[in-house]
Amino acid sequence: MKRYVIALFCLILLVLQGMAMSWLPANLIYSDLLITPHWVLGFLIILAIFFDRDDTYFAVWLGLWFGLLIDVVYTGVLGVYMVTYTVVIYVVHGLNKWLHSNFFGSSVLAILGVALADTCLYVIYSFVQITSMTWGDYGLMRLLPTLAANMIFFVILYPIVKERISLWSEELMNT
Amino acid sequence: MPSLFRRKRLMVVLIGFIVLVALIGFSIRDRDALSTPEKFLQDTVGWMQTIFQKPVSLVDGTIENIQDMFQVYEQNQVLKARLSEYKGVIENNQRLTSENEELRQTMEKSEALSDYSPIQATVIARSSERWFKQMTINRGEEHGVEKDMAVMTSDGLVGKIKSAGAFHSTVQLLSGFDRSNKISSWIVREEQDEAFGLIEGYDDETGRLLLEGIKLDEVVEKGDTVISSGLGGVFPSDLRIGTVEEVVNDQFGLTKTAYVEPFADLFDINHVIVVDRAAESIENAGVNEGEES
Repeated sequence: MKRYVIALFCLILLVLQGMAMSWLPANLIYSDLLITPHWVLGFLIILAIFFDRDDTYFAVWLGLWFGLLIDVVYTGVLGVYMVTYTVVIYVVHGLNKWLHSNFFGSSVLAILGVALADTCLYVIYSFVQITSMTWGDYGLMRLLPTLAANMIFFVILYPIVKERISLWSEELMNT
Repeated sequence: MPSLFRRKRLMVVLIGFIVLVALIGFSIRDRDALSTPEKFLQDTVGWMQTIFQKPVSLVDGTIENIQDMFQVYEQNQVLKARLSEYKGVIENNQRLTSENEELRQTMEKSEALSDYSPIQATVIARSSERWFKQMTINRGEEHGVEKDMAVMTSDGLVGKIKSAGAFHSTVQLLSGFDRSNKISSWIVREEQDEAFGLIEGYDDETGRLLLEGIKLDEVVEKGDTVISSGLGGVFPSDLRIGTVEEVVNDQFGLTKTAYVEPFADLFDINHVIVVDRAAESIENAGVNEGEES
């Protein structure tokens, strides 16, 4: 049951992610900086840190399905987000052992995760010639603003969901 | 045991890579229609977006109304001044329309390339991936929307339908146009015939459209209006596209290229009109002929 609630929350984030692009003031979002929201990824990173045990991979599976959903709904080129999100969540899940599960540790993982995901997207999209940015342009115009914007979102989301997620995780463990 | 585990992980990576390449290869080619699961997912997410959009657009609309109320008096003054001008224009227009119709009847030609039936739609979301210049609207095949139809706002052309689901469709914006989606267009000049050109892409840095293939001896000036010609097969004619900003010779010096500033604001779009051309498009006509023979 709790897993379904979590999946539903992911879906709502995915829906809002696209709507935010048409609600937020246009001169903020459509400046030269290519700010890209990775809200679903941010939430999945929190899940990978606080919900999954060392031997469960719930967040990785969610990454697979919601990555595919983003591909279908927002880009039309299938498989790119799917593979990227799955790999990134798997890596975060693995790195989680080495860092403390507190706000600082998870922020580091979130920065790493978003940066890795966005770079993967850039590499794949340049291979299929959807973008033709140079690495320098990409770093300045897309990677840094995207990291900043997603960290703001992460800082807002973290206190809202963290307690509940770790509580649910323990309840599932005990049953 | 460890070697087995490692081999399993290697298999997963390899299979993942194959799936990635296969899926990209499947979806990036020019498809006529979306697969059924994609349509289903698009509509499901589309409905959720519609639900979320209702309260927000209500608040948005109220704020806009209040802002408008403060400007009513000034706007009224300006509009009154304009009204007298328009009366003359309307009479002139009516006379020309009836004359046009009469001439058409004598020529026994009922459908013009410029005729179309509009489908009103609301933008419910934009792609969160900025490299894809596309948005979702709340009209689909059930309302008559088809792939490749033109999409415009009251200002001018904004894009075309990239793919149509059952109740929602995806619009490719002008800023995402490339060589695979050309628009055949006319440059309207004063006291001269229209010059022909093809819109073949978008310059990201300046935010202008590239109008290529203009003959060298045509004189095109800054400020000339660009409209669609309707000769491309899908778009009707006379859709407003933009104004010419700059004209340069192309790299081989055989034709001219004009930079066109679009009329429509491509970033702040809320309501659009999907243009369903009345004259048969080339593809449909081809199908019908095939059936007859």
